[in-house]
Amino acid sequence: MLKTLKDIVRKSSIHVCIVNCGGCNGCDVELVACLSPRYDLEQYGIYVHNNPREADVILVTGAVTEQWRENLRRIYAKAPEPKVVVAVGNCPQSGDVFAQEGGRVLAPVSDFIPVDAAIPGCPPRPSEILDAILAVAPGAIAAKGRIQDK
Amino acid sequence: MILPIGPIHPGLKEPLRLKLKTQGEKVIKAEIDYGYVHRGIEKIMEGKTWQKCIYLAERICGICSYEHTQTFSETIEKISGVQAPPRAQYLRVITNELDRIQSHLLANSTFYKTLDHETLFMQVLDLREYIMDSIELLTGNRVNMGWNVIGGVRMDAEDKHLDAILSKISYVEDNLDRHVALFEDAPILGLRTKGVGVMTREEAIKGHSVGPIARASGLKHDYRQEHHTYKDYFDFKPVWRKEGDNYARTMNRYNEITSSINLLKDAIENIPKGDIRRPVEVKSGYGEWRGEAPRGEVTYMIETNGNLIKRISIRTPSIMNIDSCAKYMLKDVATVADAVTTYASADPCIACAERVAITDISNNKFITKDFFEISKEYNNKFTTNDFFEISKDYNKKVNLSNKFNYNNDLEVN
Ligand code: SF4
Repeated sequence: MLKTLKDIVRKSSIHVCIVNCGGCNGCDVELVACLSPRYDLEQYGIYVHNNPREADVILVTGAVTEQWRENLRRIYAKAPEPKVVVAVGNCPQSGDVFAQEGGRVLAPVSDFIPVDAAIPGCPPRPSEILDAILAVAPGAIAAKGRIQDK
Repeated sequence: MILPIGPIHPGLKEPLRLKLKTQGEKVIKAEIDYGYVHRGIEKIMEGKTWQKCIYLAERICGICSYEHTQTFSETIEKISGVQAPPRAQYLRVITNELDRIQSHLLANSTFYKTLDHETLFMQVLDLREYIMDSIELLTGNRVNMGWNVIGGVRMDAEDKHLDAILSKISYVEDNLDRHVALFEDAPILGLRTKGVGVMTREEAIKGHSVGPIARASGLKHDYRQEHHTYKDYFDFKPVWRKEGDNYARTMNRYNEITSSINLLKDAIENIPKGDIRRPVEVKSGYGEWRGEAPRGEVTYMIETNGNLIKRISIRTPSIMNIDSCAKYMLKDVATVADAVTTYASADPCIACAERVAITDISNNKFITKDFFEISKEYNNKFTTNDFFEISKDYNKKVNLSNKFNYNNDLEVN
């Protein structure tokens, strides 16, 4: 009973944590722009607080540098189930321009943690980010929640 | 007690760890750990053509991405002994100032966020969207614009676009005053910001701080004064203040926005007709060039071999600013909450500050060397991949200061 209630509530109240694991911060800036009144992430019940311990959705930006090798897994483990990982930008998917000889990045992120959705773009527009979170998060959280119950 | 904050924390935009030494609520010392976003850009650039490198230069930092490409282009233009045509120079000024305004607005809104002043945070962020629209109108993209090329800019701006930008700028100008007044005279905000995180002029000089942070502490230096475009075509004077506290840094950024708006109006009104790009044959040689990014002075040192980049070294402003923030601004702060706001008021940008420094600690002498120097000692055969090897056999001698300093006790606040 409590579980289902929680699921219903979580469907329309999504807590988001942003993890920048080594990008140019262009994507992070666009994520901040999502908070602005023009896009207003919060009107859809999405709350960005950057605390992985309470997060439903982890937004990963950046191409995974050496320092994040272990830390990324650790942060993923800290987030409570059910959780969704959304990769924002080209960096977490392919390493973007940094995945060349001499670069010290370990992309893609999916080598480290399971990724549920990816938004390509360098950086993607705020409206695209918004669209993706809204399209994927509620459904994925609900689905994962059900799997856990069984 | 040592209080770690970060690398993921509501108040920080980018990953970095603040270690605050506290006595009760009072912060008496701070240490900053970085290295979370080191990607090895300088190394990737070696041996590539400028067409490839300019994309990398743009992706050093997303917030001031524009200034990096401009400085990169101007360095190579200097090596080749050419200058962009006047119209291109004007267009560069327009984009540069738009970029500066959006960066300063973002910095101030982040500062309000750490002060927990949601209203101003939202309003200033909203104002920033108008500037982002102008940038998109002019260059076709919001953040990484791809606007500069060696010898000029990629696209021409039509008059209607410039007019639209002018009207957006006027809107921002009209509304900015209201927000500045909200901040300037608010008694509670004054209590939280005035006299907090003070850095004196002497300390700013000692810490080599640059940009609005240094100017808020009374250093009257802005590299735009010495830039040929600003010298030849514009009447530019640096904006500066004396107090050196959080309030001064925020106000200084506001005043710089006003001065940027004036420059923009001037540029859009007087933009000459003509070419926007000049064919350049890139020569071999070494060149240095500086530019004033929103956060301070950027220096590019490039050695070219024909069309290829042989070596490149980039000095970005944030590294000095973050250091002087930790050393001087955070040396005596009343509460931990104030320490976070002080850190935000220094407008740090981690993505461009990441370096690998190698400290030679043999003979108890601390000599910090960079890649070039070590590489010279190893007869230019030193590459990034050898880095691990050397660090192994140097083990005692070399203490790899930031990148290899793994934190195994990652605690999320
Ligand atoms: S995808 Fe592009 S904009 Fe985003 S962090 Fe990577 S380089 Fe920067």
